[in-house]
Amino acid sequence: MSKIGVFICHCGENISATVNCGKVAEVAGKLEGVAYSTDYKYMCSDPGQTIIKQMIKEKGLDGVVVAACSPRMHEPTFRKACSEAGLNPYLCEMANLREHCSWVHDKSDATTQKAIDIVRTLVEKVKHNKPLSTIKVPVTKKALVIGGGIAGIQASLDIANAGHQVVLVEKEPSIGGHMSQLSETFPTLDCSQCILTPRMVEVAQHPNITLMTYAELEKLDGFIGNFKATIRKKAKSIDEKLCTGCGLCTTKCPTKKIPSEFNEGLGFRTAIYVPFPQAVPNKPVIDKLNCQYYLKGKCKVCEKVCPTGAIRFDQEDELVELEVGAVVVATGFNIMTTSEFPEYGYGKYPDVITGLQFERLASASGPTLGEIRRPSDGKIPEKIVFIACAGSRDPAKGKPYCSKICCMYTAKHAMLYQHKVHHGESYVFYMDIRAAGKNYDEFTRRAIVEDKVNYLRGRVSKVYEENGKLIVKGVDTLLNAKPVEIEVDMVVLASAGVANPGSEELAQKMHISYDAYNFFSEAHPKLKPVETNTAGIYLAGACQAPKDIPETVAAASGAAAKVAILFSQNELSREPVVAVVNRSAPPLYSTCVGCFMCATACPYSAIGEEEIKDRKGNVIKKVAKVNPGLCQGCGTCVAFCRSKSIDLDGYTNEQMYSEVMALLNE
Amino acid sequence: MNELIQKAKSLLESDTVQVVIGYGKGSADKTRAIFLTKPEDCDQLLFDSRCVQNLAVYLTKHEIKHLGKPAIVAPIPVLRSILQLAVENQLKESDLVILGVSPESKLIEFDSFGAIELFLNAYKIQIDEKYKATIDKIKAMPVSERFAFWIKELEPCFKCYACRAACPLCYCPKCTVENNQPQWIPAASHLLGNLEWHVMRAMHLAGRCTDCEACYNACPMGIPIHLLTKSMLQDVEEHFGPYGPSVGKRNTLSSFNPDDKESFIR
Amino acid sequence: MTEFEPKIVAFVCNWCTYAGADLTGTSRIKYAQNVKIIRFPCTGRIDFMLLLKAFGEGADGIIVSGCHPNDCHYTSGNFHARRRWIMFRGLLDLLGIDVRRIQYSWVSAAEGAKWADVVNTTVTAIRELGPYTDYAKVANYLEKEANV
Repeated sequence: MSKIGVFICHCGENISATVNCGKVAEVAGKLEGVAYSTDYKYMCSDPGQTIIKQMIKEKGLDGVVVAACSPRMHEPTFRKACSEAGLNPYLCEMANLREHCSWVHDKSDATTQKAIDIVRTLVEKVKHNKPLSTIKVPVTKKALVIGGGIAGIQASLDIANAGHQVVLVEKEPSIGGHMSQLSETFPTLDCSQCILTPRMVEVAQHPNITLMTYAELEKLDGFIGNFKATIRKKAKSIDEKLCTGCGLCTTKCPTKKIPSEFNEGLGFRTAIYVPFPQAVPNKPVIDKLNCQYYLKGKCKVCEKVCPTGAIRFDQEDELVELEVGAVVVATGFNIMTTSEFPEYGYGKYPDVITGLQFERLASASGPTLGEIRRPSDGKIPEKIVFIACAGSRDPAKGKPYCSKICCMYTAKHAMLYQHKVHHGESYVFYMDIRAAGKNYDEFTRRAIVEDKVNYLRGRVSKVYEENGKLIVKGVDTLLNAKPVEIEVDMVVLASAGVANPGSEELAQKMHISYDAYNFFSEAHPKLKPVETNTAGIYLAGACQAPKDIPETVAAASGAAAKVAILFSQNELSREPVVAVVNRSAPPLYSTCVGCFMCATACPYSAIGEEEIKDRKGNVIKKVAKVNPGLCQGCGTCVAFCRSKSIDLDGYTNEQMYSEVMALLNE
Repeated sequence: MNELIQKAKSLLESDTVQVVIGYGKGSADKTRAIFLTKPEDCDQLLFDSRCVQNLAVYLTKHEIKHLGKPAIVAPIPVLRSILQLAVENQLKESDLVILGVSPESKLIEFDSFGAIELFLNAYKIQIDEKYKATIDKIKAMPVSERFAFWIKELEPCFKCYACRAACPLCYCPKCTVENNQPQWIPAASHLLGNLEWHVMRAMHLAGRCTDCEACYNACPMGIPIHLLTKSMLQDVEEHFGPYGPSVGKRNTLSSFNPDDKESFIR
Repeated sequence: MTEFEPKIVAFVCNWCTYAGADLTGTSRIKYAQNVKIIRFPCTGRIDFMLLLKAFGEGADGIIVSGCHPNDCHYTSGNFHARRRWIMFRGLLDLLGIDVRRIQYSWVSAAEGAKWADVVNTTVTAIRELGPYTDYAKVANYLEKEANV
């Protein structure tokens, strides 16, 4: 027989104005299993809480129902009070008499009766409540950051500066990402490398950061606070300890005509190479796919010229296992290439280039040393067209979204062009100018007003080559949709930002969700923008959606702050509202039959397998097992389980069933 | 037929399997499931149009599992059930030898579940027109009349659970009806209990049922419970696209599409 | 004769509709007293058997409500629930269990007024349908037998 205490709150007059609280307390007192009931003006006040605490002790209550406001308001208050009186806090439930009854109904007997019904329902629920205890999960205070662009760099530095160990993994030979490729940055036109390289160096020198370049995530297991990551360190074919980064090998390598990734194919690199002069680490790697020795078994020039004997042709990939408590995913984005635009020549016109290629042409470290020269013949283009929304906002291209950064960088490109080619003419075809951001609109206005960039509102239907010129056919919708044809020397496509190739596989490895465009999904679009659905894995930057640099840096710092919060305690405390797979007597051991429908339905990948073994260690059966570190307590699995083998603490089948029964049986 | 017997013999002789689950002569003119453990008994195997029991039901039965690795005579309905059991992690390829039987009564061996799936592509689950007509007729009744119709149909049910025992997909070691904390379904076979049991059974088969009709064939009272699952199969198809078990694919009800369409939610 | 007062149970998720109903209260929007709420963590948790049980225990109507698609606190509980409802509704309809007596809705934490409206229109609709005697006859089958 239960000994439940029912405490009816008047909430001043908020409840008592329409509900006869004394009557509710009186009826509740007669309910089976109720040992004590009373009403009081303010249950949440100190004296009110004291009544509850006193009665728990005096009457030896084994369950408490506080009938007051919404549990979303004061459940923690009353559970804490119960806990202080020695009653397990999860034996306390709230009946919502204010928001769901007194405030929404007029004073009447029916209103009081509804209050009684609500109280009775919760009394029946409490009878089936079990004491629960907070789930404690240990936390490994080391973070893994995947991706060494500005997002990964910022997140690593912030976490490291908070005093925690960070492993930064980058798949390319150097950190820096797309930002290192940029010439200048909007809206200030300061040099990208000048602001980025100090951060890169800081990463390399930070005592708390372990940098792994030319490395990728192979596998991720575990859960928040307790991940096990396997990193594949691709063979660089050099001994990094011996290499001094003198660069002699890269000047002597005979294979010199490999399109440079860093220069977006507009320049060349050697087979043993450092992607760019400011690379961190500034040590070369051998590109096995292009090296003569790996291809034909002959060459080894680099080995001959290396003054420290650092070349290692026999080096193999290395798998490193790491234990980390949190993961920040900062794998960035990519852009559509010119070959994806049939209307603009399928990439067959060398002078139709992407915005990223233009960055390299405009960059002092680029293939033209910062002079704008067209790729086909090296001439300075006299006329140039920029096409905004190339792919973006175009459902036909499968990218209905706005890539967000293009309006701004196109304005920047046109300005840079006008600054470098004073007599040049530039045109921008655009759909809308989206320049929302601090000093952004001013920036695009500056391009139009001060730098005399010609903005044409309309789309370009076709670009084709004729007599060494590119003919751009478009429409100017602001001039009564007048067709426009411009003969130019170069065309720059502000092509859509897209997810990196391999994002889908990476997301699956980490069990995080991704959207229809393979960008990673945040846990909540507004309130959890840097969290993923998998606790302990956070997002930073453009792997989530196209983002500009300030937004990326803000997100990275946000993700780092989340990691620092997680690492601020040795143990993670979690609400014990989690699903549990039952156990029963042999020969069943559990009624779970291992169909794992629950596992496929779980939004958090919290359900795994467990082998039930006999004393000799033989597997008797495989059943589902909920990882309480990952389970968020939605209970979707419970409603799926045909044999009712999985149940949700706090909202068990018995509790919910009793509520329905009690509600309908006066 | 001879082919099948020879194959079964050789599987037992070589000890590749320890039991062959097949059809044999039953009482009167009927066939029944037989379980052969000796090569010399294999001559009892037969296969013809009378063989309608879904033998896949035995694959998950404790008593049969104890006999060792099985080979199973598998016409199309059995193949579908095997695939669905595989989707639900109840069978592994190495667990059994499948002696497929084509509609032309030819022996087809399958070395993987994928091969079964490929084969079944040519034999998609299709609801018979006569059943469709019956379902439409029921749906056309006014709601009270429909309810009365079913209550009358379900009244003779005395909860023998033959439908459950015959269904290859009812393999839970402890069924919800045996649950008494809480007592979801009243144990007695009264109107409410019968109704609740059959609603639950149908819902548990939603998106899983492969339309083998074993439940209906097993029902001693001839209650048309297969209409429930058939109607749900139609619903699955209507709302979520063509249905057929596919290894590596999730069940209809443990998956979703954010764009699932309905017209009844405000 | 007094007007028929239907008994209606509402199965709602904690994060959207329960909070939305809280907002109805905070905004002091009045609605009919017939609906009583049972709080679930998520619509994904709502077992179809509980709906059946509610009818069995004498409910004349049921409201099932949760977060709008894409707004689920647990990201996909409501998507799973929606599939289940589609299938369940089809089955009940075939069986002649009156699906007009179950109102499904998406009510967000910001839609206090919508909650009141859902409640009021459901109460009106059920009032028009009258007491669920068909089901009650089946549910009270044993009692009737005992009375014979």
